[in-house]
Amino acid sequence: MSAEKTRVASLGAYAPRLYVTSETVEEALGQFAASGVERKAVPEADEDTLTMAVEAARRALGAGEFEGSDVSYLAFATTTPPMEEADLTARLASALGAPADVDTRTLTGSTRAGAQALDAAVDARPWEGVGVVVASDAPRGAPDSAVEQAAGAGAAAVVLGDGPGRVEGRGSYVESYPGTRFRPAGEAETDGLDVTNYDRQAFSTALTGAVEDLETDVDAAAVQSPDGKLPYRATGALGVDAGTIAAGSTVEDLGDTGAASTLLGAASARNDGAERVLLAAFGGGAGATALRLDLAGVPAEIALKGDSELSYADYLRRRGEITSGEPEGGGAYVSVPSWQRTTPQRHRLVAGRCPECDALNFPPEGACSDCTARVDYERAELPGTGTVEATTTISQGGAPPEFVEQQARSGPFVAAVVALDGPDGGVASIPTQVLTGGRDVEIGDPVETTIRRIYEQEDVVRYGFKAQLCDAKR
Amino acid sequence: MRDAYVIGAGQTDFGAMPEESYRSLFEKAYENAVDSVPDGFDGEAVDEAVVGNLGVGGRQLGLPGPAVTEHVGLHGVPCSRVENACAASGYAVRQAVQAVRSGMADVVLAGGVEVMSDMSSDVTKYWLGVSGETEWERLTGTTFAGVYAQMASAYLDRYEDATADHLSMAAVKNHANGAKNPHAHLGFECSMDQAVGAPIVADPLNLYHCCPTSDGASVALVASEDVVGEYTDDPVRVAGVGAASDRVGLFQRDDYTAVEASTRAGEAAYEMAGVGPDELDFAEVHDCFAIAELLAYEDLGFCGRGEAPSLLEEGETDLDGDLPVNASGGLKSKGHPIGATGAGQVAEAFKQLTGQAGERQVEDVTRGLTHNVGGSGGAAVVHVFEREREVAR
Repeated sequence: MSAEKTRVASLGAYAPRLYVTSETVEEALGQFAASGVERKAVPEADEDTLTMAVEAARRALGAGEFEGSDVSYLAFATTTPPMEEADLTARLASALGAPADVDTRTLTGSTRAGAQALDAAVDARPWEGVGVVVASDAPRGAPDSAVEQAAGAGAAAVVLGDGPGRVEGRGSYVESYPGTRFRPAGEAETDGLDVTNYDRQAFSTALTGAVEDLETDVDAAAVQSPDGKLPYRATGALGVDAGTIAAGSTVEDLGDTGAASTLLGAASARNDGAERVLLAAFGGGAGATALRLDLAGVPAEIALKGDSELSYADYLRRRGEITSGEPEGGGAYVSVPSWQRTTPQRHRLVAGRCPECDALNFPPEGACSDCTARVDYERAELPGTGTVEATTTISQGGAPPEFVEQQARSGPFVAAVVALDGPDGGVASIPTQVLTGGRDVEIGDPVETTIRRIYEQEDVVRYGFKAQLCDAKR
Repeated sequence: MRDAYVIGAGQTDFGAMPEESYRSLFEKAYENAVDSVPDGFDGEAVDEAVVGNLGVGGRQLGLPGPAVTEHVGLHGVPCSRVENACAASGYAVRQAVQAVRSGMADVVLAGGVEVMSDMSSDVTKYWLGVSGETEWERLTGTTFAGVYAQMASAYLDRYEDATADHLSMAAVKNHANGAKNPHAHLGFECSMDQAVGAPIVADPLNLYHCCPTSDGASVALVASEDVVGEYTDDPVRVAGVGAASDRVGLFQRDDYTAVEASTRAGEAAYEMAGVGPDELDFAEVHDCFAIAELLAYEDLGFCGRGEAPSLLEEGETDLDGDLPVNASGGLKSKGHPIGATGAGQVAEAFKQLTGQAGERQVEDVTRGLTHNVGGSGGAAVVHVFEREREVAR
C-alpha cells in the first residue's frame, strides 16, 4: 500500500500541569539561555515519558472513539525512556488495554524519533484495527545548561486507521554532523558542543534535504524546537513563513519536548483548526524526517495548558536535584512477580463480580468481601470513574520509605479510599492516591483514574492507577 | 469448663530505653508480675507460655518466645509467639485462658515484648505499618496514621457534631491519666490548646492524636480454679473473653466508621461474662489514634453510634466519670510497645481491681474491660475481668 493512502483518524496530546517560567529560572540563575521559551512543562514526581504516553494515547483513542482493544500496532518514541533497557511497549500496551499480539516498536536515540515512528508506521501497514504512534519526551540537561533551561515535557499520539486525515508525503535526510545535540553513553543529561553556526548549518541542511520532495504550502509547520528561536531559522529551508511555524509550535509554553516536539506541534495546530500540517523533525548527529499531513476533519483531544506554577526550588525538587532518594532500611517488599500478577488490576482496573450476591470485588480474589462466598468471579472491567469515600493527606515525614522520595519531590499527598463505579452498577472500594491539582479533597468528590508511577524498588518502576479529582482534570 | 484467673500481672516502664534489650525488658516485666502475686509465685509452676511480639526491627523474628522465657529461667516450658499486630499479647492472654479452661495447663504465662525506639528513623518508617494491607493499602503511601486518618475523615463526615476537637479531648484525658502513671511513656499533662494545635501528621490527625512508639514488656499470670487458691484469696476472674477477625485492608470492609471485629469481640466477651457495658467500672481501650478511642466507645456499646463525642464532652470517660476509660493513660500516654500492649492493658486491669493503681485508682471497682486491636481492625480481642469476692455469683 502506498503512503498516500495512510489514513489519520485522531490525535491526542498531553503535557504535565506543572510549569516553571523563564522569569523564575532567570531570577534563580541570573540568565536564561532558551530564547523563545516563556514557560515549560515539568513532570510531576510520579510522571515520566511512559505515563505521559498513556495520557496522550488515551486521549487520541478517545477522540476517535476507539478502544484500547482496537490497537494492533503501537509505536513508542522517546529520547528519555524511564528505563534504558526493558521493553516499555509491553507496559504501554497493557495500560492502554491493547491485545497481547499487538505489533510494537520503540524508537529512541534522536529527537526525530517521534516523526520517524510515524514514518515507520506508514511502512508497517497493513494491519487490522488501528495503529497508534506515541511520542513522549522529557529531556534533561545539566542544571545550569541551555538544554536544561529549555527542557520541557509532553506527549502526543496519532491514531492511524479509518478516519478523515491522510499522510500525503514523507521525506528523510541524514548527513554527518557530529557534536550537535547528543547524550553520551550512560548519561542522563543531553549536551551539545554549542558551535552556533555549525549547529545552524546542520539544522537547515538536514531539514532542507528532508522536505526536498514535499509541497510545503501548509497551514502550520511543526518544526523541531530545541528552543523557541531555532525553528524560525528554518523558514528558508522549508519554504514557509514565520507565522506558519508559529502555528505549529508549542515550545513557548511547553519548552523543548524532544522526540514529541513535532507531533505535539501538529496536534496543537490541528486543535487550533489547521488542516494541512508539515512535520519537520530534526535530531543531532544529524538527521531529519518530514511528513506532510492532511488533517482536515481529524478530531483531536489535547491537554497541554499548565495550571500549577512552580518556584525554582519546587522545580529542583520535582527534578530530584535536591532530594536524596529512597531512604536506607528498605520498604515493604512486594516482589516484582507478585506485582506482575496484579497487572490487570493496576493497569486496567479489572475487578470481579460475585455471581452469588452481585457485589464487585477488587482485587477479584479470595472470598467475596460482601457475602463471603468462595466463587469464580465474573470479570468486570471498571471504567475508572467514582467518588471519594475516605481521605487523608499524608504530611511530610509520614510516608512509608517507598514513598519518601515522591513526598520529598512533590510534598504531601492524598491517600484515599474511592468507590469506583462498576460497568453495570455497583461500586468497588479501592485504596489509591488522589491527584488534586492543588485542590482540597472532600468525601463525595468525583474522581477518574489515570496511570502513574506508584513507586520504584530494586530499580524497577512500578506503574499503576491513581485517582484524579474530576475538577482537576484538564 | 474451668474458670481462669489472673493471679498476678506486671509491666516495665513503657518508653525509650536504649539501655534495655528485649530480653532484659521481658525479665523486668516477669519479675514485676511474679512480685504482684499475693501469696508468692515460683516459676516452676508455669506449664505453658505465650508471648506476643510483632518483631519490630527484626531483632529476633523467629523464636522470640523461647528466647525470652528461657532467659528468665522458665527452662523447657513450651512457649509460642503470637503475632496479631498490635493485638498480639491480647491474644496471648486469650490463649492462656484457653489453655487453662481446656484443662491442659494450670498456670500459664501470657506476655509480650517489643523494642521500637532503637532504630534509625528510616528503618522505623519501614516497620510502621507493616501490618497494614500491604499490596494495595500500603502501596498508596499509607502507614497506620494514614489509614486511621481515613477512618477519622469518614467519621467526621458522617456525624456533623463530631469535630477534630473531640479527638483532642481524648488525648487530653489520656495524658491527664498517664501523668499519674509512673510507667507511662509520655507521662505528662497536655492542654487542649496543645492538643488542638499540634502539627498535622495525616489530616485530620495531628501529633497529639497519635500514640508514641515505645519499648516495653508486660506479663500476666493466668491460673485455673483448681490452683488459684495457692496464690491468692482475693482472685481476679477472667469473666469473659471475645475475639474476632476482619479483612486486613480498610477498603475491604463495609463500614469505615466502626471496627466490626471490636463489636464482635465485645459482644462475645459480654455474653460469656453475663454482663453488659453498663455494668463495667472501667475500661482500657485501644487508642492507638484518638479516633480509635471514639470508635471503641461505640463498638463496645458504651454509647450509641455517633455519640462518642458527647461522651467525651460530658466527661463520662474521665477518671472521675461514670465509666473511666484508659485510666492508665492508654496507648496515647502510657505508650504502645506493639507486642506488649495487650498484656499491659491486663496488667492495668489487675492493678485497678486489686487496688494498686495509685493516683489513678478508680474508686470502688469490681469489673473492668480490656480491648486490644490489631492493625486498623483486622483483629480484636476483649476481656472482662471481675474481682470475684465482690461479685455475687
